[in-house]
Amino acid sequence: MQYILDGFVEAFYLIFSFDPEIFQIVGLSLFVSLTSTLISTVIGVPLGILLGINNFRGKRTVSRFLYTFMSFPPVIIGLFTALFLARSGPLGQFRLMYTPTAMIIAQMVLVTPIIMGIVFNHASNSGYDVVQTGKTLGANRINILTLLILELKGGIMIALVTGFGRAISEVGAVMIVGGNIKGFTRVMTTFIAMNNNMGQYSVSIAMGIILMTISFLTNSILYHFSEGAKYEDRD
Amino acid sequence: MKIETNHIVKKYGDKVVLDLNGQYSRLLFESGKITGIIGSNGSGKTTLMKIMAGLISAIDGEVRYDGQTFDQDIAMKITYANQRPVLFSRSIYENIAYPLRIRKYPEEEINRIVRGLLEEFEIADIQKQNAKHLSGGESQKTALARALSFSPEVVFLDEPTASIDPKSVQVIEAALKRRNADTGLTVIIITHNLAQAFRLCDRLVFLNQGECLLYDTTEKMRQAQNTTIQEFISFNAF
Repeated sequence: MQYILDGFVEAFYLIFSFDPEIFQIVGLSLFVSLTSTLISTVIGVPLGILLGINNFRGKRTVSRFLYTFMSFPPVIIGLFTALFLARSGPLGQFRLMYTPTAMIIAQMVLVTPIIMGIVFNHASNSGYDVVQTGKTLGANRINILTLLILELKGGIMIALVTGFGRAISEVGAVMIVGGNIKGFTRVMTTFIAMNNNMGQYSVSIAMGIILMTISFLTNSILYHFSEGAKYEDRD
Repeated sequence: MKIETNHIVKKYGDKVVLDLNGQYSRLLFESGKITGIIGSNGSGKTTLMKIMAGLISAIDGEVRYDGQTFDQDIAMKITYANQRPVLFSRSIYENIAYPLRIRKYPEEEINRIVRGLLEEFEIADIQKQNAKHLSGGESQKTALARALSFSPEVVFLDEPTASIDPKSVQVIEAALKRRNADTGLTVIIITHNLAQAFRLCDRLVFLNQGECLLYDTTEKMRQAQNTTIQEFISFNAF
C-alpha cells in the first residue's frame, strides 16, 4: 500500500518539476490524437450524414459493418496499419513506420468508424425529416447541409468526444506503429505501459494523472458544447 | 399559382397507391382557391400532396406549376406542412425567421414579419422558447407561421389541425382564410374533418383507394350520388 502512496507523492513532484520530457510526451500525445480526430471528423461526419439521411439497398449491411468497425481492437488496427506501412508493405516506399504520421494514420483508422457510426445513428433518426422540412421551406443544397450540421451538432459533438477519448487513451495501435521511441514517438499511454513494465510506478501514476486531467478537460469542453447544443434557447 | 396534375401514377413496390385516370386524370388546382383533399386512410391523399409539393416523384404523369415543371424557383414559392411538424432546435422566433434568412431578407424586414406572425398565431409570449419543447397546438402554429413567413404562393397542408385543441384550430383556419382573401394564397389541404373541409374549401377532391372519385365544389360533394362518398359523408356526420 505504501508504494502506491509514495507513487502519488512522487507523481505530484514530477508534475510540478516541469520536466521537459513529460511536456514533450504530452504535447505529442495531444498532437497525434487531435490531428487524427480532426481528420476522422472531416471524413466521418459528412459520410455519416450522407449514409444516415439516404435510404438505399444494403443500408442495413453498411450499418452492421460500421458498428463492427466501431468496436475493433486497437492492436488489430495497429497490426494492419503496420502491415501496410512496413518497408515491404504496399505503402512501404513512404517510410512512415515508427513516425508520428503512422500513429496518426492508425488512430484515424480507429476513430473514423466511431465518429461515422455515431453521426450515422443521429442522422438516421432525425436527418431525413430535417432534409424534407428544409426542402419544403425552399432551402437549397448548401442551406440543407448547414441546417443538418446545426440540427445534428449535439450528436456530432458526442461523436467527437467519444472519438477523441478513444484516440488519446489507446495504447495498442500507437505502440505497434510508433514503436515508443524516446523523444520521437513516445506518447502518454506508451510511456505509462513502459514504466509500469519497468516497475517505475511513480512516473506511471504521474503520467496517468496528467492523461486523466487532459481527458477530463477536453471532454468537459466538448461536453459543454454538446449539452449547449441540446439545451440552447430553453427557458 | 395554378397547379395542374396529369395522369399521376405512384407505386410503392408492386402496389399502386395512386392512379389518377379516366374522368379525373387531369386535376386543375386554381390559383387563389382553397382546395381540400379528402378520403379514407390509404386513399392516396398524402402521396398526391407530396408529389404536388415536389417531395416525391410519380412513376408516371406530370405536375405543372403555371405551365412549368418543378424546379428550385418553384420550390421557393411553395411550402408544405404536415400534422407532425419538424421544428428546428432553436427558438420559435428563429424557426419562423428561417425561410426569410435563407432568402436573405434584411434584418428589419425579418423582425417585422416574424413579430406580425407571432401576434397573428398567438405565440408571441413564448417566442424565445426552444421549439423542440412545445405542445401540439403550439408546434403546429409555429410550423404554419414558419410556412407562411415568406408569403408563398401555394401552401400544402397535410392534416394541419389533427389532434390539436379547438382554439388553435380556429387560429389556424382564420390565418389561412385571411391570407387567401388578402394575398390570393392558394391552399391545398388534406383533412379528415368534413366540417372543416366545408367551412374552408372552395373545391374538394375525393380519393378512394388511389383513384379520384370526384373533384368539384363543396356543394356538389354534398349532393354526390356515389355510394363511397355518401358513406364517407354519413360517417363524418357522427
